[in-house]
Amino acid sequence: MKKFIMVLAVMALAITTIALAEDKAAKEFVVYTDKNARDNHYIPAGWMGDYGDIKMNDQSAENPHTGSSSIQFVYNAKKTQNQGWAGVYWQSSANNWGSKKSGFDLTGMNKLTFWARGAKGGEVLQKVVIGGIKGTYPDSAVVEMGPIELTDSWKQYTVNLAGKDLSYINGGLSWTITSDQNSDGATFYIDDIKFESDSTLKPEGKLQQAMPFYIYSDRSSTRNHYIPSGWMGDYGDLKYEGVCKEDPYLGDSCIKITYNGKRAQGAGWAGMMWQNPANNWGTVDAGFDLSKATSLTFWARGVKGGERVEEFKVGGIMGEYSDSDSSSIGPVILNKEWTQYTIDLKGKDMSNIIGGFVWSANVDTNPDGIIFYLDEIKFE
Amino acid sequence: MVNNKPFLVKGVCYSPIPIGQNHEYDWWSDPNKSWLVDGKLMKDMGVNTIRLYQSHEDINEVKQVIRDMYEKFGIRTVIGDWLGFWEYPCPFYGDKRFQERVKKGVLEMVTQLKDEPGVLLWTLGNENNYSCLNRVNSWSNEEIDKEPDPQKQREMRSKIYYSFINDLTKEIHKIDPNHPVALGNGELLGLEYAKLYAPDVDLVACIIYRGKTFGNLFNSLKMTFDKPILLSEFGADCYDAYLGKDDQNMQAFFLESQWRQIYENIAGNKKGAGNCLGGIMFEWSDEWWKHDENNPDSWSVHDIESNWSNGSYYFDIKAAGNKNMNEEWFGLVELSDNTDKGLNKRIPRKSYYVVREFWNNPQAKPKNKRQR
Repeated sequence: MKKFIMVLAVMALAITTIALAEDKAAKEFVVYTDKNARDNHYIPAGWMGDYGDIKMNDQSAENPHTGSSSIQFVYNAKKTQNQGWAGVYWQSSANNWGSKKSGFDLTGMNKLTFWARGAKGGEVLQKVVIGGIKGTYPDSAVVEMGPIELTDSWKQYTVNLAGKDLSYINGGLSWTITSDQNSDGATFYIDDIKFESDSTLKPEGKLQQAMPFYIYSDRSSTRNHYIPSGWMGDYGDLKYEGVCKEDPYLGDSCIKITYNGKRAQGAGWAGMMWQNPANNWGTVDAGFDLSKATSLTFWARGVKGGERVEEFKVGGIMGEYSDSDSSSIGPVILNKEWTQYTIDLKGKDMSNIIGGFVWSANVDTNPDGIIFYLDEIKFE
Repeated sequence: MVNNKPFLVKGVCYSPIPIGQNHEYDWWSDPNKSWLVDGKLMKDMGVNTIRLYQSHEDINEVKQVIRDMYEKFGIRTVIGDWLGFWEYPCPFYGDKRFQERVKKGVLEMVTQLKDEPGVLLWTLGNENNYSCLNRVNSWSNEEIDKEPDPQKQREMRSKIYYSFINDLTKEIHKIDPNHPVALGNGELLGLEYAKLYAPDVDLVACIIYRGKTFGNLFNSLKMTFDKPILLSEFGADCYDAYLGKDDQNMQAFFLESQWRQIYENIAGNKKGAGNCLGGIMFEWSDEWWKHDENNPDSWSVHDIESNWSNGSYYFDIKAAGNKNMNEEWFGLVELSDNTDKGLNKRIPRKSYYVVREFWNNPQAKPKNKRQR
């Protein structure tokens, strides 16, 4: 009996080894092709943000890209959880946010492809992300792409993963969507998601971004970059409205920021950093190459005039992956009328900027807090 | 250049406060002469410069320290003056009487020490520029108070402060044309005003804590105030505030990386900006009084609580409240409770050996692989 168990164990080991070898040699690793397809890996179980705003039909027969079905997502932008965004992660096991070691070794793959279309066209996915789940068993890489404006017909999208460490990937793919960019909601379809091996693909160097490069143009603009995710100091005192229609400087919307000065965290100051990706305090090798920028300009006004912002700044995040430089102006006393401000970037190393824009203010100079507006924030 | 030969500053900040004492301790007159023990260890490591933040009331004792370090170990001294930065309630740079009093002290120091062969250069201030930005030890005068625009207030303060620096520099040059005068400055902040109002300083001595890289520091200086730069204070602590344990690899990793960048930017190295004169690490030995300076009981305790946060030192940034910088753990040598000839025993940390090895062979690839 012992001998039989030993034989079984050796066979199991051999089979596992072969399977691994076959996987390594494989040209593709499927995330989703059709409902119940045997080679599907990953489960679209990681619902995020306003998860109550999302409906999913993972066997939509309505014009699939290939096969019998695609996945339909309906996002209603009702902010059920009061987040203003929502998203879904395909995870290696359901609801695995890094607590279980069920991810896959995708070494040998160097791109992820998927097909997507909007019901009407014009729907905006804020970004898609491969990897990036943290926890006890963190993904070995995080790569993101976006924003993506969908068309009403199927289109293939490719995320270059060449040169990335794919030795442990629990988060196969995620998409996020915001109510700012899709105020009436969005219906879209995704199909044929695969990791692939492409011998012709080279690691993607950081693309030098063309100017102007917007941080904020209008609420739904696909030209927007960076996420105002880095809330600092008395973050409980802050309210951010990215779809403010109270006299925008240009277009149909501007940003309204309310800082109530109540010292929710006892810091006596607060600030907000626009980051790439969201919540990146220098822990993720990301950001944009803005070497062509010589200034950052923005328009601002206070609700009363006289509001004091201690600093407006570009860059300055320090961590394992620091911003390549920083520049600031301030203190600035805001006018009641829209006024343009410029942060000079001449001579600065803008080759890697994670923190695109930041402001900070304090209660010493604004004891009752402040309300102010921002618009047309862009690198030039 | 020192004696017509290129001189790269390989320095340490020197403040040999024993366990149980605080910054007021008069180590200069300690009969055990800690600098003789430290100087030997420094020489063995390759240190060629110490930095003293401030002179001492007994100038003969200062001379003796400078002379001993130079004659016995070949180590030169950068000596500075706080310029009244820590005076209560604040440094009144806008007050001519305050300026004159500070100037008198500085010029006396220069006059007394200028002929000491061990003196390398003078530094004026440390991070005093932050007072112009209202960040620490803020000061004002009637004229500034009348100005409603805070940006203009900042410009007015900077004009006063850097003009004072320039005035001091010119006076020092008259007394002592043989030693350069450095402007002590926190980061590069305010140097656009130094360019306008302090053109006579010879170099900038910057205090920089940016983790493993200095980033665009060297090129950025060229764009704002094109003077040579000495990194007069930089380094890393060796306590992991997140894991709650000593981590000498972490300190060694940062220091080696920082020195590599310094070497890339010294004159003649085409890879960098070519404007760096070297660096002075903070600091030679731990100071146990720093965490809670008003509590004498704590001066005998090697505190592990952190006072401040710096994301550039990312290994332990997840510590509670992100406070990861342990002020009492910056030494290249740690102090032991055990004494030897009246002094706390010095125990070199890993960074002592790693930096020594780097200085011996700066072309070698990094060996200290502290990673996440």
